[in-house]
Parts: sequence; structure tokens; C-alpha cells
Amino acid sequence: MPVRPLSWFLLLVLLGAIVITLFPTFWIVMTAIKPPTDWNAAPAIWIPSKPTLVNFRTLFDPEAIREYGVGGVSQAATMSVLGSIFASTTATALSVIIGLLSAIGISRYSSGGRATPLLILSGRMFPPAAIAVPFVIIFSNIALIDTYSGLIAIYVAATLPFSTWMLKSFVDEIPREIEEAAMVDGKSRLMAHLTVTLPLIRGGLFATTLFIFILNWSEFLFALVLSYTNIETIPVRLAKYVTATAGTLYGVQAALAVLAMVPLVIAGFLIQNHLARGMTFGAVKR
Amino acid sequence: MTGVALQVDRIAKRFGRLDALSDVSFDVADGELTVLLGAAGAGKTTTLRTIAGLEVPDRGRVFVKGRDVTHLEPKDRNLAMIFDNLALYPNKTGFANIAHPLQVQKLAATTIEQRVTAVAATLRISHVLNRLPATMSGGERQRVALGRALVRDPDLFLLDEPLSSLDAMLRIELRSELKRMQRDHGYAFLLATPDYVEALAIADRVVMLVGGQVRQIAPPQVLYDDPVDREVARFVGAPEINLIAADYDPSDGGRIRIADAVMPLPVAQRERLGGASRSFQAGLRPEHVRLSDGGGAAARVSDIEALGLQSIVTFDASGAVLRAVVPSAEGRRLQIGDRVGLTFSLERMIGFEERTGSRVA
Repeated sequence: MPVRPLSWFLLLVLLGAIVITLFPTFWIVMTAIKPPTDWNAAPAIWIPSKPTLVNFRTLFDPEAIREYGVGGVSQAATMSVLGSIFASTTATALSVIIGLLSAIGISRYSSGGRATPLLILSGRMFPPAAIAVPFVIIFSNIALIDTYSGLIAIYVAATLPFSTWMLKSFVDEIPREIEEAAMVDGKSRLMAHLTVTLPLIRGGLFATTLFIFILNWSEFLFALVLSYTNIETIPVRLAKYVTATAGTLYGVQAALAVLAMVPLVIAGFLIQNHLARGMTFGAVKR
Repeated sequence: MTGVALQVDRIAKRFGRLDALSDVSFDVADGELTVLLGAAGAGKTTTLRTIAGLEVPDRGRVFVKGRDVTHLEPKDRNLAMIFDNLALYPNKTGFANIAHPLQVQKLAATTIEQRVTAVAATLRISHVLNRLPATMSGGERQRVALGRALVRDPDLFLLDEPLSSLDAMLRIELRSELKRMQRDHGYAFLLATPDYVEALAIADRVVMLVGGQVRQIAPPQVLYDDPVDREVARFVGAPEINLIAADYDPSDGGRIRIADAVMPLPVAQRERLGGASRSFQAGLRPEHVRLSDGGGAAARVSDIEALGLQSIVTFDASGAVLRAVVPSAEGRRLQIGDRVGLTFSLERMIGFEERTGSRVA
């Protein structure tokens, strides 16, 4: 497809949109490298004259911020970073694997009847806050509260409708005859699904994985109410940078937020080529 | 001696409240090309899919080379199938598509290379072996799908409307190519199509499906000349067979009245109609209606379609519509509104019961 040059008007509109979209990101990155005196200075300081990495150091060494006369950070963020990585990747992997198998079952074998897809989705129809407290009680009784297993179980259950639905739509797009041709060619049913369809929905699989990972990575409510001291995730830690003496530590919060964005940005760049590729073109007559 | 490649024994399949197949039975002999003929929704694809193992029948059995395969997975049936949408692997090259069944069998790379190259040469698609299906023409894709089936040595080929997407010229060319390949190698083919011309052109035998049931199994010419009932008679042949009210009177040596003409009836028809006088519906193919040199049924020309070699002339005979296929020279002499006489090749006439459509003559 030939690339048409943009008109000046369109270019301006696009620039405006980019500025609006990226401004919060710019501001949080700037705040992350501001010394405490600049955090909420008035008039606002856009770009710090003396940028510092002290906020980042404070994440892992709570005493670091004292060189600016600010104290009261009680705990390093190390555990919450590791906790987020562990809980989110495990939950995402489980959700996508189970979702993929469900998607194939529903798409190819109408597993559970025609209503199954909607039934699965209906699990997402009530607000999470409504079930958070019951889960605290149930999880307390079965010793799953304040454990990663419990949090991961909730994350898988909460994201499974999305992964199933997204993957089902990708599987639906692959004509079943391609799999059936492989079966007639001599492959077993399972191998036909996995070796024929999986490569064709690779883009969709990456997109789904990223989406589910973002959901898990930024989840706050359950991570808050289901944790006491043994587990913690980044969103919960973010809320804890409030001290008695210095108020909210905006710079440290910003530093942790910037750190939390990094894996998402990297993942987005890595798979951007897969996100919009039509792999099935020419497979069948339409 | 010829064996039986496929035996379908009273298979039935129900989708929800719809009886897709009821008690479908037929055989395909070794080296024979059998056509499964039927309108859309008659159950052709379901039959092929059941034979391939992609659907499990509710009842009945499927035998391939005498082996009961009813409950085997598709991979264990040793059949090749060409799908109506071809189902090429979009992310594989022409070579990889054709080689796939051999790779699944884990044959040696050199063997695979040899066989794929040979098949590609026969099908004249050597030039697309390195290309993806998306970059191939319709005919090339069709041939790659064919190649993927031919590269194996299956007991039976199932072809689901394999020529449906091609343009007319290519369809006729590939049709005869398919037939030649089948005959040369002695393959057993079961080909589904809604196109009776295709069926008549290539079939050794036709299995006519109507509403999920086998209505007639016969060689193509028999299907055309001696259809089992009115529905089959109307499905096979274009322009459609003429259906016109007729009265039979066994007295006076057996006479029949069609439109306003009364004619003596040939012996064979007389015997089938029996000794009592009756009314029925006469079926006359358009080529069996002719202009008479004088006499015959009075008719008025209401339409003329010139089709090059032949013309289709529509007549109004005492209120009934009759179509005739006549040589173009004859057609050119006619004009709409002309009054003419018609005679019929009564020895080729077939008769139906007016209400049920079953054969009476």
C-alpha cells in the first residue's frame, strides 16, 4: 500500500493527540527523577535542573531518601516487584493455556452447548468489589489468604473469560477445514489443533497474552484485600508511599510506576509486528 | 475382478432437529468414479465428512476396503479428501502443502522430494512449489489441493465440489484432467457436486441424494433417461423436462391425449400404464418435442432463445407450456406468435403420478 503524505491539518491533529496521550507518561518520568524539593513545587517544575536517581534507589534501599532529609519509608519494594512478576506471569500463563484449550473446545466442538461462551462471560458481569469481601472470608477459611496461590487462582478465574473469548475469536477465524485436512493427512485431533491452528493464530495469542498480563499486572483490589504481610504486588506498594512526616512520596511512587511500565513497553515493542497480521489470507476460497 | 473400495451401510446423522442423512447406503467400486449428486443441503458434504471421519454417524457403518472404519479417527482411515474451500495451509509453501501428508508419515526427505516433484510435474504446478497459497491463482490452488491428495496412495479419494470455484473454461479442462488421472491410475473417486452436467460428464455411476436420502443409484445415462421419480427427472437436464397433463385410454390399441393431440402409444409405455384408463403427468425431454410437418398438437410460439448450435423454443399448447430444443436453422424460421404443430417421441416419454410424482410409465 502506498504511503500518502499527511496534510498539515491532519499532522497537527495527530501531534495534538500524541501530546495529550503521552503527557502523563512524560510527567511521571520527570517526577521520578526529581529531588523531593521539586515534587510539588509551585510554580511547577517541568524538567528538573538537578535530576537524580534517588527515588529509584529508595525503592530498594529505604534509607537512601534520607540524604534529602526525608524519612519514614519502612520497607523496600523488592518483594512487591518480585511478587508482581511471579503472580502476573504465572496467572497469565495459566489463563492463556486454559483459555486456548477452552477456545478450541468451544469453537470446534461447541463444548457445553451453544450458551457456554455467554455463560463464561457472565462471570464478568458483577463488579469485583461485590465479591472481594466474600473471597476474603472464604480464602481465610481455606488458608489461601495472603498466599500467592490464592491470588493467582483469583487472577486466573477473573481473566479466563477474556482469554477464552479473545482466543475463541481468533480460532473462529481459522477455517476448521484446514485442521480437518491435517487430520485426513494423518494427524491426530489434538496435534491438528496445536500444529496447524496455533501457528496461524500466533499474533492473536501474543495480543491476548499481553492483554491478560496487563490486567493482572495492574490489578489492585484483590491484591490489597487478599494480602497481609506475606505477599505484595506493585499496585499495592504504590499506595503505601505515604509517610507521617513528609506526606506522600510522589517521586518514589513515580519511580515505581516507571519501573512497572518497562516490561509492558518492551513486550509491546517485541510483538507489534504480530498484532495486526492477517495470517489466513489465501487459505480458503471465500 | 474389482473389489469394493467403499461401502456405506445405512448411515444416519441428525443435527438438532434436522435429519441430515437417513439410511444412506451405497458402494464405490475400485477404480470407479462415483458422483454424489444433489442440491445444496441434500447431504453431500455430510456424507463425505462422515466417510472421512470428521463426523460420527448416529447409526450405520462405513467400510473402506472391507475394513470397518466407522469409529476410527480420520488419520487411521487412509483416505484423501479435497475440501470445497480447499483448506490449504496458508503459512506453508506449495511444496510444504503437498508434502505434508508424507511428512506426517515421517518418510525420508529424499523420497518426499521425489514424490512431490513428480506430482507437481503431472499437475503442471512445478512453478508454484516455492510460493504461498495467497500468491497463487484459483486454478493453481486447486491443483495444489489435488496434489496434496494425489501424493499419497489412499484407498479412496473424497472430493467435495472440487471444481466449484473455477471459471467455466478451467472447470471443463480440470474436469477431464481429473477423470483422465482417475482412470489412468485406477483410483476410486467419490465426488460430490450439485452440477448434473459435471456428474453426467465424468461419473461411472451417480448416487442421487434428495433431502438426506438416496433416491437413485444409476449410471448417468440411466439417470437421465429413466429417473426414478419427478424430482430426479427435473433435477437432471436443462432445459428442465416438460411436464404436461396426459390422458391414457387403453381401448382401440392404446391411445394417449397430450394437449389437443390424440396419438397411439408405443407398446412399452402401454404395458407399464396397464389396462385401465387414467390421467397422469407426461414427462418429455425438450429434445423429444419436435415441430411436425403437419398435424400434431396445436401450439403457439411464445419465446425463442438462440444458443448458437441450437435454439430453445417455448410453446403454448392448449394452455400448457412446452419447451423444445431444435437445430438453430429450424429455430430461425420461427417467430413469436407463429402457430405450429408439435409431435412427440412418445417411445422416450416417461409418466408420473400427478400428485406424488412417482413413476407410472
